[in-house]
Amino acid sequence: MLAAHGVSFAYDRGAPLVLDGVSLSIERGGIVGLIGPNGSGKTTMLRLLSGTLKPASGRVTLDGADVGALSRRHLARRIAVVPQDTHSAFDFTALEIVLMGRYPHLSAFELEGATDLSIARDALAATGTIGLEARPFATLSGGEKQRVVIASALAQASDVLLLDEPTASLDPGFQLEIAALLLRLNRERGVTMAVSTHDLNLAATLCSDLVLLKGGRAIAAGATRDVLTRENVRILYGVDADVADHPRAGHLIVVPLARVE
Amino acid sequence: MTRRAALAAILAACLGAAADAAARRIVSIIPATTEMLFAMGAGDRVVAVGSYDRFPPEADALPRVGALLDPNIERILSLRPDLVVLYGTQTDLRTQLERAGVPYYAYVHRGLPDITQTIRSLGARVGVVASANALADRLERQLADLRARVASSRRPKTLLVFGREPGTLRNIEASGGVGFLHDMLETAGGDDVLGDVKQQSVTMSTELVLARAPEVIVELRYTRGDAAAAADLRAWDALPSVPAVRNRNVLLLQGEEFVVPGPRVAAATAKLAAVLHPERFR
Amino acid sequence: MPASNDLRRRIVVTIAAFGAIAAAACLAAPLVGTTPIALSRVFDRSIPFADNVDAQVFFIARLPRVLAALLVGSSLAVAGVVFQAFLRNPLASPDTLGLSTGATLGAVVVITFHIDATMFGVSAVPVASFVGSSIALAIVYAMSVARRHGTSSTVLLLAGVALSAFFGALNRLVQVVGDFTDTFRAIRWMMGSLDVGSYTDVVVALVPMGAALAAIAALPRVLDLVSLGAAAAESRGVDVRRAERLALVSASVLTGSAVSLGGPIPFVGIIVPHIVRLIVGADHRLVLPASALFGGSFLIVCDVVARVAFGPAGMPVGAVTALLGGPFFLWLLFRRFR
Repeated sequence: MLAAHGVSFAYDRGAPLVLDGVSLSIERGGIVGLIGPNGSGKTTMLRLLSGTLKPASGRVTLDGADVGALSRRHLARRIAVVPQDTHSAFDFTALEIVLMGRYPHLSAFELEGATDLSIARDALAATGTIGLEARPFATLSGGEKQRVVIASALAQASDVLLLDEPTASLDPGFQLEIAALLLRLNRERGVTMAVSTHDLNLAATLCSDLVLLKGGRAIAAGATRDVLTRENVRILYGVDADVADHPRAGHLIVVPLARVE
Repeated sequence: MTRRAALAAILAACLGAAADAAARRIVSIIPATTEMLFAMGAGDRVVAVGSYDRFPPEADALPRVGALLDPNIERILSLRPDLVVLYGTQTDLRTQLERAGVPYYAYVHRGLPDITQTIRSLGARVGVVASANALADRLERQLADLRARVASSRRPKTLLVFGREPGTLRNIEASGGVGFLHDMLETAGGDDVLGDVKQQSVTMSTELVLARAPEVIVELRYTRGDAAAAADLRAWDALPSVPAVRNRNVLLLQGEEFVVPGPRVAAATAKLAAVLHPERFR
Repeated sequence: MPASNDLRRRIVVTIAAFGAIAAAACLAAPLVGTTPIALSRVFDRSIPFADNVDAQVFFIARLPRVLAALLVGSSLAVAGVVFQAFLRNPLASPDTLGLSTGATLGAVVVITFHIDATMFGVSAVPVASFVGSSIALAIVYAMSVARRHGTSSTVLLLAGVALSAFFGALNRLVQVVGDFTDTFRAIRWMMGSLDVGSYTDVVVALVPMGAALAAIAALPRVLDLVSLGAAAAESRGVDVRRAERLALVSASVLTGSAVSLGGPIPFVGIIVPHIVRLIVGADHRLVLPASALFGGSFLIVCDVVARVAFGPAGMPVGAVTALLGGPFFLWLLFRRFR
């Protein structure tokens, strides 16, 4: 559905390539994880997939159409992004933040209507934050903020959700919560997702497929069970880890043991 | 005379002579005091002047060492002065001169009577007491004459303006009820419409001009040969109800003597009196 | 709980309420002043205008001043809202990008070098100050264009600081060249003055201000989105680079025109958006029109205070806004960083 075909990218002319000839594809209804160390190009990849950045070479396609040829508005109706952190400079309420997700569906001077409001409230309910509707966004806890931002992305009613380190700044309780939420959204609403993370256990929980990025290149891609191996973890992170099925968790878990070179 | 008294007299004479001899290389960074020094015959002792000192022409030719905002201490000291005439408010410069052991004379800019007082004290400091006093006496006499000459005339309500945005009536700077411009106006037989405002300079709003309704407006300009100035007076036509505008009594006086409270003040006041009371000066 | 007719209703109520305040200020201000005047005399047609002091006070001294305050206050407030949104900083102001300092430099150059020409009835100082702020804008704009991926607000802020410092230094340099009457005149200009005394300046300023306000009127929702960050706005369908250029240019034109007309009057662009947000919330579809109307009212009131509260000579309006603005700014900082 959403795919990158040999994309390369550098932030400035003459600067080293952040991504070098990477290809990946995200199937409809799937959850793909982009994992790799810091600086491997995960965030850049997400920005290329969302159409925010244009690749220096290669193409990004959405259902076969080049993403660069689509209008920003159209793209926003198909792809929504959940960034790692969201800071509001002003005192918007949670509901107002979520309503901003309706922007791509409204014309220039159109105000949000009853439909938009019910979609927004629906999204808040789906993320379990309907009770926070009238609270100022800035006063919410980290987990609550992240859920409201996810609700805002849901309100965009897009087919694809791209998430950048969605649980990086959250405590274990919220990490579990967000992971459960995303799985539910994927199963019940069929939302296609791509998640960039360096939390290997989150990737193991959420993602059906993984793309491993290192130094701007994809060193492996495929089903999680096939790709998330002790060898690959060593290549990616320089860490000797135990990768095994956990009976209670129901998925692979990764336990880092020692630093190796 | 007792021996002690004789010794004291000799000592005083020596000190006096020392004081007299002390001011041979004078740096004056104030236009007013520069003019005073030249007018009292000490011009040949002046070795450097301030950035804005242009009168007399001999002063204009001397090296410049800065002024109120930017005195150049290095240049001043390099001239090896034995007296520096500066503004009382220039504390930094004073401290530096004290440290360098250079004597200074602190000038304070105030009203008309202070001009002659400054001439006398500066003259004593420099060592030309006789000519300084003569100059001061002459000025005081001239001013007294002017006062007497216009005493019996009716004093018109006058606005004395020394700054304005050209072409408009914005940012009108007028003389308030304090300072040497106000004193000049009173001496010249004018009734200052801003006499009750206890400030040296007043930024006048359009409303204030209309409210005070001056009968005469005198604009002072300093830049030499300002040809456009006369035409610029038409800006006042925007306020036709003001008596000065209605009766075409908006007048222009040009010359540096109006901004420098120095020895030319009597001449300046005479010019001012002549435009306020033309009938007394035929 | 907001619904669509609710938001529409709130917009209408906001504009009506703040509009009423602005109208009241415009009507009352020309009646207030140190000189007692009688309305009956002001409008008495039988007295020829040239002799009617009351009418001249009303129509020449006060009314243009009130109109200038309305335009300048409105422009500075709207520019403040726009800069605060794009710089994502509630403490940003129209001068954050160095525009006022650039405008001041233009004025100081003209004053110091005695460039006293008049064009179309407008004197050189306002024209030069507009040019000065345009140069500052051009530099900021060039920086914004040079970066391929949109300008980070941090970069803009730092550029503004650098520009302010640079133009401020040039300012001082130029003043040293001039003589003390020029310096005095420059300092007076820098204190700000709305005493325009004629309608020409007001009408001339109205042209760029009107155009800029019209451009910004299309942007309120974009301002909401951009205040969450360029990436957040982008992913919701906003063309951030285009919006940024339009908004920054318009807000800079507003600032440049306002400073040309009334001098660099401080704090209006910070205080007004904040007070407005405390009343109507954060939605820019309310904040923008309310700030435009309240900004004008606020400056009209400050100008009345400047005219009557300090004796017959009055005080520069910039001093009044600073007296109010300084403590207000400190209070804001306390609130935010407690």
